[in-house]
Amino acid sequence: MNAGAELRHAARGLDPERVVRALDQAFAAWRAPESQWRRRLAEALELYSREVLDEGIVRGLEHWNADALRAIRSREISGHVRPPELTALWLAGAIPPAAFSAIALPLLAGSAVYARPSSSDSHGPALFAASLTDADPAVGACVALGQDEQLLDQADAVVAYGRDETLESVRSRVPAARIFVGYGHRISVAAVGREADLVSAAEQVAHDVSLYDGRGCLSPAYVLVDDAPRGRARALAEALAEALEYLRGKLPRGRLQPGEEAALHELRATHAMSEATRVWLSRDGTDWGVLLGLESIRPPPGLLRNVPVVPVTGSQGLARWCAGLAPHLSSLAVGGWPDAAGALARIGLQSGASRLCPLGALQLPRLEWRHDGRGAIEPLLRSLDVEPEGAR
Amino acid sequence: MRRELDERSLSLIGEGPDARPDDARFAALALDMFAYQYQHNAPYQRLCDALGRQPERVSDWTQIPPVPTGAFKEARLACFAPERDVRVFRTSGSTTAERGALHLDTLALYEASLLATFDAYLCQGERLRFAVLAAPASEAPDSSLSYMFDCALRELGAPGSRFWVHTGGWEPDALCEELRSQQQPLLVAGTAFAFVHLVDQLAARGERLRLPPGSRVLETGGFKGRSRELSRAELHGAIEHALGVPCERIVNQYGMCELGSQFYEDSLVRGRASQVKRVPPWVRTRVVDPGSLADLPPGEPGVLVHYDLANTGSVLAVQTSDLGRQCDGGFEVLGRIQGAEARGCSLAADLLLGGAA
Repeated sequence: MNAGAELRHAARGLDPERVVRALDQAFAAWRAPESQWRRRLAEALELYSREVLDEGIVRGLEHWNADALRAIRSREISGHVRPPELTALWLAGAIPPAAFSAIALPLLAGSAVYARPSSSDSHGPALFAASLTDADPAVGACVALGQDEQLLDQADAVVAYGRDETLESVRSRVPAARIFVGYGHRISVAAVGREADLVSAAEQVAHDVSLYDGRGCLSPAYVLVDDAPRGRARALAEALAEALEYLRGKLPRGRLQPGEEAALHELRATHAMSEATRVWLSRDGTDWGVLLGLESIRPPPGLLRNVPVVPVTGSQGLARWCAGLAPHLSSLAVGGWPDAAGALARIGLQSGASRLCPLGALQLPRLEWRHDGRGAIEPLLRSLDVEPEGAR
Repeated sequence: MRRELDERSLSLIGEGPDARPDDARFAALALDMFAYQYQHNAPYQRLCDALGRQPERVSDWTQIPPVPTGAFKEARLACFAPERDVRVFRTSGSTTAERGALHLDTLALYEASLLATFDAYLCQGERLRFAVLAAPASEAPDSSLSYMFDCALRELGAPGSRFWVHTGGWEPDALCEELRSQQQPLLVAGTAFAFVHLVDQLAARGERLRLPPGSRVLETGGFKGRSRELSRAELHGAIEHALGVPCERIVNQYGMCELGSQFYEDSLVRGRASQVKRVPPWVRTRVVDPGSLADLPPGEPGVLVHYDLANTGSVLAVQTSDLGRQCDGGFEVLGRIQGAEARGCSLAADLLLGGAA
């Protein structure tokens, strides 16, 4: 039996509740105070400091449990549906919880998973699969990792993450009759309103920036600040610089490649030399930077804990700025804005965001999050509508 | 102040590349020049302020903040007004916005530096006939390379020296005849990609030349996507095969538009092939950690940062995108820093957004 057939066989007839319990146990094992999985990941993945991985995984998986898993199933599975027997995953990036959920959700739908890890992180997916086997070998047997492109071609469904070109290249290999779900690169934004306490808002934003060193789609690419009364954006920038310096010790940045360092030096120098920008930069290294610009100029997005702060004028200014990021906006973190429920949701929807969350929670999405506005497992399912006789 | 700095630099350069390096003299001039540039170069002043490195806080020349070469595209890094520009050298690129620039209000230091090193490491006091495989400065006015060749040819070349490449193309038949017919040693100088075209041309003709003994070759400037790319060893081997100039007489020059000085391999000085770039006494080159910019131990690879006292009117400290390592008598270039891998969404986001709003 080849690997694809083995995976299909393993998933066939597996009780969904058993999958829920295995995933629940695996998530708990990653959250545990002395988790061997976090320790092993930190030893293998040099991209992040141990502190960042601990904070990101413990807090990120806080609400990832059996209740959340069951809630997804009951929200998205109704009527006559058939999951794919085998889902091929084309992973991207290096955010461990993102890889965990990418593997967990097809399993939750009832599918076996064959995952091709990203070039940046093969360790997270492999260790998560091992933790599933540890929780329940029968569920662990439904997951395999590798680079076997034939297996990717044999899958009933393909889920791909990555750059638009990668998605197009993968999509072109998937026959029309099979399911393809693509998640392209996105950026996220933190927005500080006029009612926010600036010091605490800065601390929360700094946390969002520092977790995973600004590498994720959920890292704030811009920090927008309602600059009324005038000067609040500058005050927020100063407070953010202090908070980032504090987190430099508490959540140290991982080691960068020389090319990343070179890009940061250039970015920081370019902003520092500009008359239109006021900057606050970490000393003795490129660890963090706060780059305060003008509302009328969109600077390049933040890079590795070096983040632009942009003053905006009220909710209208926020809406205008976010609209300029459509359709690439993923999550919008907000704090201190009036009428948060109504106006901000409209701004988020109009700019293509699929998630509105508090400041400080950007990197901690719920498992139930409808990534890119689609169901967590529903896009993988084939539905059958049954029209009753005599209904016409 | 500026005139005094220029005179002090010119005096140092005038003592030649083989003068004994005087660390105290270099340090004093570098710190004075930094103070001047901080005061007169507004974008640079803003950078120094952001880094907390104002002249009164800098007591050692290694603390002078370097400017990454990429930032030369974004700001006019000059200590004088645009109307005083006598020359602007630009990096390669298809549009002005993509090109870094070195603004000069005098060519005296640039010429003094280039002639001193060109003569010391290539001509060695001999007046050679030059065959230059690059366009003259009249046809490429913003090319520092063309200016360098132009100046060297004018001041150091023997009668009959000339350029063989023009903006409209090159003259392969006439060039081959020139190379074939010479009885006296030649200096063949040009860009790496021009040499690729020359050796390919000779190969296509089934011809191998034997330039007169004492001839030498200077190659520089890389390939820039304008020919097939060869490693240094492959290129030097191909030149040796095609022109009959032994590898120990083929010299690579390393320079950049943002610097007033250039660096040469010391093969001719040593009498054997060498990859060591000599650093003249008016320049210091540090090999530093890519992040902290702290000095690395000798031999360890790191980013090259140059402090060039010929850069009186711009910034003297330039952070390159090149990796290298310190070695006896100079440094070796190990290659370009590879671009940041897209290991995070934010790195791809700029492409998604497609520039400024």
